[in-house]
Amino acid sequence: MIQMTGVLVGIACGYMILTATFSGEAAAQSTAVRIWGFRGPLGAFIATWGCVAMLTSAPFDNWWHNAYGLDVKIVSPPHTLLSLGSFSIKVGALALMAGLMNRATPEVRRTLTWLSIFIGAVCVAQLGLILTLPTWAANMHTARCYLAVAIGIPAVLMGPAWGLGKRWACTLVAAGYTAILLAFEWILPLIPAEPKLGPVYQHITHLIPLRFPLLLIVPAIVLDLLWSRTEQWGRWKLAAVSGPVFLLSFLAVQWPFADFLMSPAARNWFFGMAYFAYFDPANFLYNPYQFQIAEKTSGEFWGLMGMALIASIITARLGFSWGDWMRRLRR
Amino acid sequence: MKRVRSRTRIVAVLAMVLAAALSLRAHVGSPDVYYEGDAGPYHLFVTVLVPQVIPGVAEIQIRCASQDVRAIEIVPMRLSGAGSDYPPTPDFAERSKEDPQFFTGSLWLMESGALKVRVSVDGAKGKGELSVPVPSAAQKTLKMERPLGGLLTFLMVFLAVGMVFIAGAAVREGNLRPGETPAPGRARRARVVMAITAVVVAGILYLGRAWWSAEANNYQRDVNIFKPPAAETKLVNGNRLEIRARGQDAEWSNSVKMGEVIPDHGHLMHLFLIGAPGLDRMWHLHPERIAGGAFGEDLPSMPAGRYQIFADVVDKNGFPWTLVGNVDLAQIEGKALAGDDSTWSGTAFSAQGVDTSAAELADGGRMIWKRETGPLKANVPMDFKFSVEDKDGKPVTDMEPYMGMAGHAEFVSTDLSVFAHVHPAGSVSMAALELARTGAGASGELQAGMPMAMPMASAPLPPEVSFPYGFPHPGDYRIFVQIKRGGRVQTGVFDAHVQ
Repeated sequence: MIQMTGVLVGIACGYMILTATFSGEAAAQSTAVRIWGFRGPLGAFIATWGCVAMLTSAPFDNWWHNAYGLDVKIVSPPHTLLSLGSFSIKVGALALMAGLMNRATPEVRRTLTWLSIFIGAVCVAQLGLILTLPTWAANMHTARCYLAVAIGIPAVLMGPAWGLGKRWACTLVAAGYTAILLAFEWILPLIPAEPKLGPVYQHITHLIPLRFPLLLIVPAIVLDLLWSRTEQWGRWKLAAVSGPVFLLSFLAVQWPFADFLMSPAARNWFFGMAYFAYFDPANFLYNPYQFQIAEKTSGEFWGLMGMALIASIITARLGFSWGDWMRRLRR
Repeated sequence: MKRVRSRTRIVAVLAMVLAAALSLRAHVGSPDVYYEGDAGPYHLFVTVLVPQVIPGVAEIQIRCASQDVRAIEIVPMRLSGAGSDYPPTPDFAERSKEDPQFFTGSLWLMESGALKVRVSVDGAKGKGELSVPVPSAAQKTLKMERPLGGLLTFLMVFLAVGMVFIAGAAVREGNLRPGETPAPGRARRARVVMAITAVVVAGILYLGRAWWSAEANNYQRDVNIFKPPAAETKLVNGNRLEIRARGQDAEWSNSVKMGEVIPDHGHLMHLFLIGAPGLDRMWHLHPERIAGGAFGEDLPSMPAGRYQIFADVVDKNGFPWTLVGNVDLAQIEGKALAGDDSTWSGTAFSAQGVDTSAAELADGGRMIWKRETGPLKANVPMDFKFSVEDKDGKPVTDMEPYMGMAGHAEFVSTDLSVFAHVHPAGSVSMAALELARTGAGASGELQAGMPMAMPMASAPLPPEVSFPYGFPHPGDYRIFVQIKRGGRVQTGVFDAHVQ
């Protein structure tokens, strides 16, 4: 079913490419790039690549399940290809809109800006999903959690936002991510459901949401405030500040917020910490709100935190490169 | 063996919602489950075709003896312990349009280990229920077929090359104003970027391949864990055979403790020594547990030769294992057979392709295989019926239970790749069946050494015995059918060619 999204994108982008290639329309051809004799917007080619990757993942994943059993891992080779394809579609859509925006009237640009913010939010949500395990509430007092966030989030949060060059863009992208996850958290439990697979340890009567969103909104606000004063900085300098600012402001709110999430006050529909999956075993109930200890020594902890700091600079720089590329894109 | 998923893995499943080698175990080379029993007032013949990979889909076939069944629900559960009390939502088995007494369904088996399929029947006589033990285990890794491999290779090359050309186009033309043509410098930069992209893509593919190999190796370990353990033997004092189990995976012994096996119809181990290669001698013995999780038995008198070993045990969770090995024995001058131990010797299997349907018994009587006409087919559930006559050709009147049952049948392929120890209730282990019925097990209700409750009929049994089973693949088989008459175990032997 998920591949259907790729098919829809493939049809739309294929139409754009074939039209630009064969219709002879000067306007379409003058704003196209050429690949293998085909013409079309660069974003359409990137999204089509993503579509092919998603479709390729279907038989690959099907075979994988047949060969190694139903895959219960998020991160497996076919799922990674699927995720890469899905992410490429978003990158292509952002590039397509960036090319249009950089040639468009202010009215059109405004509309496309909101669309781009939405796509950026979906990008962050996708990366957030991939990082589910290391950023699970019980892991939020481990350095691994923040290393994972530093590797996975800055580029996808800052890239689309920086590409828009709009004030508060980063905040809006993070707000979009937060809204998407909150919608999942609050709407899914309203839908009746029963476990169809066993063993069943918990009596479940409705869909179970994933979790409360990460507090990315806070570092996003801080970054927007920072960027309003530093846009003229060199990109490495900007990344060297933005990455640690992102990581430290995230750490400053998520760490204590994790204490709250593990407290009885969060076990309600709003924060969603009272939900259990049908396969959570009974003995899990004895310590579901206990933090995991992943790092055995403080040296290991701070070493990983240092790596997280370096990673945040690198991924922030990637985000700026991505954003700058979209700012320049015209085709 | 029960392998509880880690919390990490559990979260992964939740997140996903949002976003011939020898096989194994209970028997050797015969993974499917055949069971005949009563769900309340309804007599059922249940076949569970287990998937080759776990998690995977099991196919369930149910034949009802009566026509008064309205609906059947099926659901997989753990056989015992935590998780065995709370089933997921059951699925309805679908009634065949051609045969209203035949129902089929598919069930996901999500984990390896001792599971059961609970069958709930609703019909004119009310409701009934039975549980069929199912040893769930990864059997093999599927090879990729050439057409699919070709397609995926083509798509991989297409995607890799496509990414390189997209990167080139992005640098060459992405920033140009409408109608502008790329300057030579841009084209040069594009080529450099394409070269760098190609190296990056090659690196990604290399890492992907390494990852894939690591995943495949991990899965293969699961497969190896469930391969039949090797039976390591030692002959002590010339006639005492000691057997130890060694798993095909190093971690096997961490999961399966031979010191914790539970009795299966009265014995901790059912040891079959079969003369190889002709299958012309067979001993059915019952070693006792000795120190260190090993088993030992003073052998009866046996001629010298090579013997194939199949030793059935059931672990504390109800998962049946068959230890496999062979041993070369010199002439044994041993004790006389006693208790439930039994033996048979006769002609070697030689006439390949020739089926036999009558077997001479030691007292001059005969055992008749009341088989249907036509060739025997692999993977077809059958009811193997045997009747017993005395030397005058009359049905015998002195049949009695042998280890609590009307009979025991061992299906052995002549290449020794298949061994199945089957009872009138089917191919399930009787210990597992008891666990499925009572839910006891890991909690300790069934302690090793404690005999299982066995119905001991006071009146003679009927002169017929039947076994539900299906041959796993084509080939030649020898069937040893063991019954007990007048205090003596008798064995009828039949040869079968299966297409």
